[in-house]
Amino acid sequence: MTTTEPSLSEGRSAAPGPGRRRAPRTSAWLPTWALITTKNLELRKRRGLMITAVVLIVVPTVLVLGLRLLFHAIDPHSNGPAGSPDLFSQLSNLTAEFGFIAAAALGAAAGTTDLSEGVFRHLVITGRSRLALYLARIPAGLAILIPMVALAFLMNCLVTSYEGTPPPTSVSLYGLNAPEHLDQAGLRTWLLLNPQQSANGLPIQVGPATTPAQIRSAINGGIAGFYADYTASEISGAIPADNEMAKIGLWLELDVGIAFLVGLGFGSLTGQRTTTTIVLIALEIIVTPILAAHVIPYFIDGQRLIIGIAMDQLRPAALAPAPGTVGGGGGPGHALFGGRGALGIPAMPTWAMISVIVGWIVGWSGLGAWRMVTRDA
Amino acid sequence: MNANDLLAAGPAVTGPHQSVHAPGIILGLVVLAALGYGAVRLTHRVRLNRPPSPRQELPSREPTAPSPAPAPPTARRAPSTFQHPNGGWAVETHGLTKRFGPTVAVDDVELLVPRGSAFGYLGPNGAGKTTLIRTLLGLTKANAGTMALLGTPVPAERSRALARVGAIVDEPRFHPHLTGRDNLRLLAAARGGDADQRIAPSLARVGLAERAGDKVATYSMGMRQRLGVAACLLADPELLILDEPMNGLDPAGMHEMRAMIASLAGEGRTVVLSSHLLDEVQRTCDAVAIVDHGRVIRQGSIDELIRGAGAAVVQVDCAEPAQAKQLVDDAGIAAGTAITDTGLAVTLPAGASREVVADLNRRLVGAGIDVYGLREVQASLEDWFLSVTSRLGEPS
Repeated sequence: MTTTEPSLSEGRSAAPGPGRRRAPRTSAWLPTWALITTKNLELRKRRGLMITAVVLIVVPTVLVLGLRLLFHAIDPHSNGPAGSPDLFSQLSNLTAEFGFIAAAALGAAAGTTDLSEGVFRHLVITGRSRLALYLARIPAGLAILIPMVALAFLMNCLVTSYEGTPPPTSVSLYGLNAPEHLDQAGLRTWLLLNPQQSANGLPIQVGPATTPAQIRSAINGGIAGFYADYTASEISGAIPADNEMAKIGLWLELDVGIAFLVGLGFGSLTGQRTTTTIVLIALEIIVTPILAAHVIPYFIDGQRLIIGIAMDQLRPAALAPAPGTVGGGGGPGHALFGGRGALGIPAMPTWAMISVIVGWIVGWSGLGAWRMVTRDA
Repeated sequence: MNANDLLAAGPAVTGPHQSVHAPGIILGLVVLAALGYGAVRLTHRVRLNRPPSPRQELPSREPTAPSPAPAPPTARRAPSTFQHPNGGWAVETHGLTKRFGPTVAVDDVELLVPRGSAFGYLGPNGAGKTTLIRTLLGLTKANAGTMALLGTPVPAERSRALARVGAIVDEPRFHPHLTGRDNLRLLAAARGGDADQRIAPSLARVGLAERAGDKVATYSMGMRQRLGVAACLLADPELLILDEPMNGLDPAGMHEMRAMIASLAGEGRTVVLSSHLLDEVQRTCDAVAIVDHGRVIRQGSIDELIRGAGAAVVQVDCAEPAQAKQLVDDAGIAAGTAITDTGLAVTLPAGASREVVADLNRRLVGAGIDVYGLREVQASLEDWFLSVTSRLGEPS
């Protein structure tokens, strides 16, 4: 059998002269397909990291819905349908939360392991542009994360759509069962037609001597707030439409994508995988909730610089918690794509929100790339 | 929204008949994680026991036997001088300086490595050998000076220069969770061109074809060194820079590595070998630069350097060595004497002519000491190295 491969055997008679052979163009800053696929391979073969990512992103959704499907199949009378709009919202938010952590860990690994395992200098010695080495890690890591999130979310969508509870016929508003699809005037009319129920249910000051005129006045005065809560309740109680699901899926992918890029940039900057992972987990589960829990006067613009708060404002409406549940009733944020915040921070202008998100992506990527280009290998 | 929210909100959301039980979910997560880990382990074991893939069975693409032993080092052509070679210099530096704060690791180095030579960069630990190599390869920036690899200036045209350079800096390190072949795939992808087609021949060349599918974590130090050489060969390099390639190797591994370096140099490649092992450099290289405290203090062919060292030793095979030693010491014709198994070793003064040897013989015979033979012994590189570096006289 013959071979066409270049031979490295002793038959090499003499070193070729300068310029006799064309060298590959390794100075280009754009990563090659081979560079991306091999980096993807390097990440995929990190067994512990992959198990962690799967456990955080895919397993919760699969497990919860799988068990509920199983229980419903075994005893449908005692166990209702597996899917529901609220569960859809909760699992999606859980995927976002855990997905952020998994993505940050993967990004940190992608940004640091070449350094910590001593391979970075081998890569630099090849003459390949260091920027290309950095940029190759982005598609390599996202190619792992995006399918995982898509898988979990797809299962959530399918179960909610095909194995979910029937669509509700009324909207729950402070314990009242209001009709669906009312506009603000229609809601006011319905509340005025049911004054006693409204007085008992709505968050208005009533007493034994409250007159119908006072109730009517309270309804008219607070109708804007009541309608906002009615809308939120209607959205959260209904199975999201297909386009709404698509928006939620894109938001989830954006969320984990940002986490990966921040982890990659921060990891490349510090060179410390553990430190990077811990800092980003702390950002997600400690710093962001604390800063988002209360509006701090004179520091609200500082609060809005947190990526979790900017992303919260972009959160699709169907993922906002229903009024009266943990999360604060959605707050007044209703920004791009019908999104609404769940954390209770007043909405910022759309341009500001986009600036914060883009700033985090570009800023951390730029810092990571700069450090990789300038660092001693 | 977090897991606690989900679990806390579960019963209210799903109603009395559809409640999500927190302990159940947590238990389920743990069980699933354990099952997943077990499945991965099982898959891994199955993969290890699986017969080679069809590609691996192709003898033309994946030779399974190591290549024949390369020619011995002595078969190599040795450049004799440091004249400007026709092919130019493989490595050329002028005034190269690298500082780390107040410490000057590479101090105004003027280095010329002829193409096609096996060149030793020799110096004690901490002399700045690795820093010079790191600077040449662009792993760290120089503070001053100019340098060129294969005639191409670096760092200005670093990518073009490194396209035909293979190097091992410090100990060769790889991703331990990847196989040897996958590690080379990673590096070949970075190199581009047809480097990926050289993976199999490179592995075969260094005798790692059979272990190429094993994880690097299972490799011995010698195998990692050989994998490092295979990584260098991906570039089909004109210039190989090997930093302390014998480190951590056992005698057999050192012998293999020495033979491999010799064969690579024998193919016309330039090999720059950094080492603190004097004997190793003397065995492997044609030319050498001696570095100390960041400065190149001597460079040239080994023969020339040793010839110029000045100290010759005459081995005298004779009877009554003690008496002979006393005689020579009293005569004052030697720089030093030492009794050996067969007689006496006489170190002649620097610049001594051959007449001194004849005079030595006359004196011994005249004193009635039987002389069976006299032979001039070449000073070793180690003797010379110790005489020119600052380590001489330092407490060990």
